[in-house]
Amino acid sequence: MDKTVELFLTLPETKKRWQKFLISQGINNFSSREVAVIDHTVGLIDEDGQLVGTGSIAGNVLKYIAVSNDASVQGARFNQIVSALEEYLFSQKIYHSFVFTKAKYSASFSHLNFKELAHTDEAAFLESGTPNIQDFLAKIPRIEDQNHKKVAAIVMNANPFTLGHQALVKLASSENDLVYVFVVATDASLFKTSERMELVKKGTSEYPNVLVISGGDYLVSQSTFPAYFLKSPDELIATQTEIDALIFKNTIAPKLAIKKRYLGTEPFSRTTNFYNQSLKNTLSPKIDVEIVKRFCNNDQIITATRVRQLIKSNNLKDISNLVPTTTFDFINKNYQILQERIKKGMNINGN
Amino acid sequence: MEIKTVGVAGTLESSDIQIMVSAGQNGIEIDLESEVAKSYGDQIKKVITDTLKKFGIENAKVKATDKGALDCVIAARTLAAAQRATETTDKPRLEVLQ
Amino acid sequence: MTYVKNRLRRTMMFVPGNNPAMVKDAGIYGADSIMLDLEDAVSLTEKDAARMLVFNAIKTVDFGGAEVVVRINGQDTPFYDEDVKAMVRAGVDVIRLPKTESAAMIKKLVADMEKAEEEYGVEKGSIGVMAAIESAKGVLNAPEIATATPLMMGLAVSGEDYTADMHTHRYPDGRELEFARNMVLQAARAADVYAFDTVFSNMNDTEGFYRETKYIYELGYDGKSLVNPRQIPMVNKVFNPTKDEIENALAVQNAIQEAKAKGSGVISMNGKMVDKPVVEKADRVIETAKASNLIDEEGNYIGE
Repeated sequence: MDKTVELFLTLPETKKRWQKFLISQGINNFSSREVAVIDHTVGLIDEDGQLVGTGSIAGNVLKYIAVSNDASVQGARFNQIVSALEEYLFSQKIYHSFVFTKAKYSASFSHLNFKELAHTDEAAFLESGTPNIQDFLAKIPRIEDQNHKKVAAIVMNANPFTLGHQALVKLASSENDLVYVFVVATDASLFKTSERMELVKKGTSEYPNVLVISGGDYLVSQSTFPAYFLKSPDELIATQTEIDALIFKNTIAPKLAIKKRYLGTEPFSRTTNFYNQSLKNTLSPKIDVEIVKRFCNNDQIITATRVRQLIKSNNLKDISNLVPTTTFDFINKNYQILQERIKKGMNINGN
Repeated sequence: MEIKTVGVAGTLESSDIQIMVSAGQNGIEIDLESEVAKSYGDQIKKVITDTLKKFGIENAKVKATDKGALDCVIAARTLAAAQRATETTDKPRLEVLQ
Repeated sequence: MTYVKNRLRRTMMFVPGNNPAMVKDAGIYGADSIMLDLEDAVSLTEKDAARMLVFNAIKTVDFGGAEVVVRINGQDTPFYDEDVKAMVRAGVDVIRLPKTESAAMIKKLVADMEKAEEEYGVEKGSIGVMAAIESAKGVLNAPEIATATPLMMGLAVSGEDYTADMHTHRYPDGRELEFARNMVLQAARAADVYAFDTVFSNMNDTEGFYRETKYIYELGYDGKSLVNPRQIPMVNKVFNPTKDEIENALAVQNAIQEAKAKGSGVISMNGKMVDKPVVEKADRVIETAKASNLIDEEGNYIGE
């Protein structure tokens, strides 16, 4: 029987051996975006001392899983690797995990009680453990007779919440019985998830039919997607957008009776417009998608990116024209902390 | 017994079963993945349910991934998961297995 | 299951205690003893689960008549107390204590077992103990360890830890283990308990395995610890008595029967007195020959 061992990728020889094995299994992308986030790696060593399987954990995501092609033991090795990775996760008190894999391996994970959240022709996204997406959805508040009401959704990063976001929410609020605002839950932005949640809640408090919900693990931010097996960055964006949209369309929207989704344009971001377009392609016609033009204030386009730049360039006064007072008060109060974060290298570009 | 956290025991390897126990409200709810679920699903669920009840858990969500485990393995893994979920591993309740 | 002091113990197969597939199949390979391991083969996070699995396996799995030994965790670990209790409760044949360095450690184990036997209504003395000798101190104290309790089944040399303790490691020729092997064997023989040699883990070196097994057989060891079932027939082959040995043993047994029939207290063969070690050796040879199917029920030689 193969022995499970921990591989320390910080040791150059170990890393070389690991890479060599993965390359032999057709995995070639070892960019730091993919490798730097790895927390733990296991290997399988056969009786001859050869590395015959490996797998890694980054946060709660399983990645770089490969086992040698010896057909007689491939299934057993695969199970042994996933088992060892889960044992590590459980020891870290992580009971909910994800895997983003080639579509053809989806079945292998399904046999290990992973549940497919979505798949495209290229890739599949699965989860395992508890709490799962059904638990996530069951906890979201509902209104009476929701299935027969007009329900819409907006997904935003709100980094931070601006007048533009507020106008979008206001429009949706006026056109629907209930609006879910999902705030993307990834702590890779200048404003922390908890801060962004708080600012969205405060900034929408005047609209009683708006519910602000953390996006949890299911309105996935780009950074968590491992994509080492996809060919190009464009394919990455296309695939993750499609997966994102499919989860929304097939699982989240039906459960919450969401029939419409509002998107804001981003005049300066090719990515966002590409994202919006492919989102619309996947969601329509089941979900009505409304792309709303970005709001302006005195001809100045309002974006969160601009707000962050003004924080960096120490221009508190101009920020007040871009954000609601609730957000402004927060920035004003935490001005030094935010500037500290930028100085420490927090990336303020992106959305 | 009060479930305080998620408790997992067992592996995904051949002849084993991985049992994940977490808090629930509606009795013992079991989500079972097994290649032999058609023929043995009811029996597997019975062993899990009996073991949990004997241990003193009436409400729990259970995820079970079976790889062909014998009843004695199912019971042992269920008890281990239950003791971890209730944070009582320091006092093994082996009488539950008898 | 109840502990039997004297029985055939050529092979003691190690089985990881948290691996249901291996535990379930442990009985099918024909090992004389099966050692379910709660110690080194089980990671720290899985000690509780492995204990339950082994407990239930002992109660329900058919090990094909093999003796069932459990290696518990050492007395310096937080798992020891519950391991002892669980294995007494399960009614295992023998408890193996790792890292044994003194008679006091064995006495503590026996006292803890007695307490558990009382608590769970298990017959006193129905479970044997064995000591794994894994350090220089253990080797030097082997005589007192071997005689620490009447329940002592045997001593086992554990080469990996011992060589580490001796600031060396395992070599193919085994010279680094020479003293330990002889010391442990002497202590075991003097105390009339069994002696087991350490594992040989390079599965690809068949020649080396045979060489080592032959060597410890010639020294006088009763058996060898194994990590892989493929090694069982190999050990048995080495431990098989020759045709001459079998015939001689049959003759000894014959002489005993004749003496009994005559009502004679003195057993003699070829004009010489047959004393106890000779009788015991003959019994061992016949038992081994039967186990390896070298003789039939009537005692006819049927080996190659």
